[in-house]
Amino acid sequence: MKQYIVVRIILAIPMLFILLAVIFFVLRIMPGDPVLAVLGGKAPKAVIDRLRHELGLDKPIIVQFGDYLLNLFKGDLGRSTLTERPVWGEIMDRFPATLELTIFAFIVALAIGVFWGAEAARRKDGPVDVAARVFAILMYAIPVFWLGLVMQMIFGSYLRWLPIGSRISPSVDLKVITGFYLIDSIITLNWEALKDVLAHLVLPGTTLGLVISSIFLRMVRNNAVLMYSMDFVKAARARGIKERVILYRHVLKNAFVPIMTMMGLQFALLLGGAVLTETTFSWPGMGSYLVLRIKYRDFPAVQGTVVFFALMVIVISILVDIINALVDPRVRY
Amino acid sequence: MRKYLVILFAVLALLSFAVKSTVVVGTTDKIVILDPAKAYDYFSCNVLENIMVGLVGYKIGGSEIVPQLAQSWEISKDGLTYTFHLRKDAKFEDGTPIDAKAVAWSIERAMKLNGDPAFLLTDVVKSVEAVDDYTVKFTLKKPDVTFLSRLAFTVAYPVNPKEYPADKFFNGMPQKSASGPYKVAQWVRDVKIVLEANPNYFGEQPKTKRIVVMFYDDAATLRMALETGEIDIAYRHLDPRDFLDLKKSQFVKTYEGNSPQIRYIVFNVKKAPFDNVLVRRAIALAVDRQAIVDEVFVGLAKPLYSMIPMGMWGHEDVFPKRNLEKAKALLKEAGYSASNPLKIDLWYTPTHYGLTESDVAQVLKEALEETGMIKVTIKYAEWSTYIDYFLHGQMGMFLLGWYPDYLDPDDYISPFLGTEGAKSLGSFYSDPQMDEWIVKARSVVDINQRKAYYHKIQVKLAEDAPYVPLWQGVATAAALTNVKGILLEPTQIFRYYIIYAE
Repeated sequence: MKQYIVVRIILAIPMLFILLAVIFFVLRIMPGDPVLAVLGGKAPKAVIDRLRHELGLDKPIIVQFGDYLLNLFKGDLGRSTLTERPVWGEIMDRFPATLELTIFAFIVALAIGVFWGAEAARRKDGPVDVAARVFAILMYAIPVFWLGLVMQMIFGSYLRWLPIGSRISPSVDLKVITGFYLIDSIITLNWEALKDVLAHLVLPGTTLGLVISSIFLRMVRNNAVLMYSMDFVKAARARGIKERVILYRHVLKNAFVPIMTMMGLQFALLLGGAVLTETTFSWPGMGSYLVLRIKYRDFPAVQGTVVFFALMVIVISILVDIINALVDPRVRY
Repeated sequence: MRKYLVILFAVLALLSFAVKSTVVVGTTDKIVILDPAKAYDYFSCNVLENIMVGLVGYKIGGSEIVPQLAQSWEISKDGLTYTFHLRKDAKFEDGTPIDAKAVAWSIERAMKLNGDPAFLLTDVVKSVEAVDDYTVKFTLKKPDVTFLSRLAFTVAYPVNPKEYPADKFFNGMPQKSASGPYKVAQWVRDVKIVLEANPNYFGEQPKTKRIVVMFYDDAATLRMALETGEIDIAYRHLDPRDFLDLKKSQFVKTYEGNSPQIRYIVFNVKKAPFDNVLVRRAIALAVDRQAIVDEVFVGLAKPLYSMIPMGMWGHEDVFPKRNLEKAKALLKEAGYSASNPLKIDLWYTPTHYGLTESDVAQVLKEALEETGMIKVTIKYAEWSTYIDYFLHGQMGMFLLGWYPDYLDPDDYISPFLGTEGAKSLGSFYSDPQMDEWIVKARSVVDINQRKAYYHKIQVKLAEDAPYVPLWQGVATAAALTNVKGILLEPTQIFRYYIIYAE
């Protein structure tokens, strides 16, 4: 097991390198210049040349890449060309927002996916199953920003039950400690803020949750249906074990490994893939950060974000493997 | 019981009429940096204008220069020395007096760091010195009547030497340097900034003690935030159609103001077929400004016939009104016909001027093709790419826009028609006669003499047509009906300190 994890981490390094190289060169081959994007056409040439020199953009591209890797190795993601702040700090400002949203969305997706999926499998081809199928296809087909906009219009603009964007109301004061607003409001015993933060999470979290729930739903249902056809289920039924117990103790537990793997990947993707949801709801996370900085050709920021995402995916997929091994004694590495 | 209720309601009603202590503003803009030496985007400057003051500023609601930190000033006969006398009661947020030394230090810092807006100073200022504690003397490279307007730009605002480093830009949240009506109380980048009244401000205290600015990612969310009352004011970048909708709402009041923003076509005069002045003039005759204004901006813009905007002294309608017959005659003269049409690419960018830009391109295409002698292909590139293309002369005809750095006709002329300026806008226009007039128009003080030069310049501009002015923007804002004091000024300065909510 230990050896396996070490091998996984070593294998991740060339993967990361290739990803980084692609991002690095694509950004630079693409037309558009970070200096001009920041300064616009108005700036005199002397200013442009000076800034380009300061950012090291006048060096050969290979040298730039070498410099970048060297700094990265030292744990330095560089400074943003737009704000001149360290990229690591900017990512850390944004990451808690994304993680909070992702966890909330994940809980929504899990609740819908697991329970509905399990029920659908138990009564295969029954009305619950058919409804699940329709729901999953619809949710999978609807673009997330459109769903978000509709939710904003119904629950925000028309019914006025929930706030339509951002993480907290302008009138609510919250002392930010960890950057996770839910945790911050609990530590500071700020119940008004807790309520407000939760309310702000509902729309973006549910929107994102609904969209990924469709994947979970299909996954859980199909795996559970497969398990139901196994002999051990027949045996369990023959022993007179209750249907509900069969479902949750036997069927779901055995269907868990592929589901878990899927969920891990989805979670990692969500951390990077909530771009559209974040933009729709003005959610100040990594996704909206990435979009903003691509617009400004902020090379260090974009590269830093991608490296960060890649690391997240690697870490989570290793974690998922470990959990699988713990849950299922048949898994051997 | 009923009596108590009546009293209770009366008290509540009274309370609700009192001035609210917090006003929330929403925008889709972002703050880049709060260092005057570097800030050059609209919203960074907007915040600086509310937390800091310069030697001189603009009159509220007007475009005249008024004293701020400087109580008075003298200009030497040769126009080369400006001596400013500072007010003695001005302090930074932390109590440090804003004396001549701090002013001179800040100006020198901005010039030395040479940030994006520094050219406004370095172009004209030779040196600056503190004569005594409250007297500052500027020596100019050559006489320049735009100098005072340049000083009113944020780049010339003094900053606290105890906070802003001398040798690099300051990218944090200023906590010692506020000299204006507000100070920054909290700043969460791209999320919100909280401004609170600055007790050390020498002027009148702001009407609203606390301003919160919320940053939104898209215009649809901004509109809903206003409708749900999450924000009191939506400023900058409501979609024109949303704005029209809000106009009908009884809970929202909309504001329209003069904007100094101009939009225009640029021709690369070195690139065929636009190196032919006949082609450029024909296109200038064929564009349909009214159609753009009506169809795309639903009236929230005004047709423009010169590069100097309407409302500014010196403006003259020099470009001809739409005339398809004349356009056709010119095209014929240039050797084109219905069977041998002029084939051109029209470029726009979808990522810098809002969602309306593609519609503008479409309307332009239809207007030009109405001549029957032009074939237009619409092309687009994302903003960063777009800049790259036009600076390298890859686009022949493209749409651009301009916000002024200082309010003087010169800022609408020299960046476009001066040889150096035209290069930076991708037009590559160059004319020695024009260059000479531009320099002269800037160095004479007499406004009538200046007007005479701008007349000649504008007439030649229409003749050579390296640019075709299309429309002038209308600044918009929308607010809940209880919010008062919103002023959309010709200077584009949005003053939070005169706004209040009942």
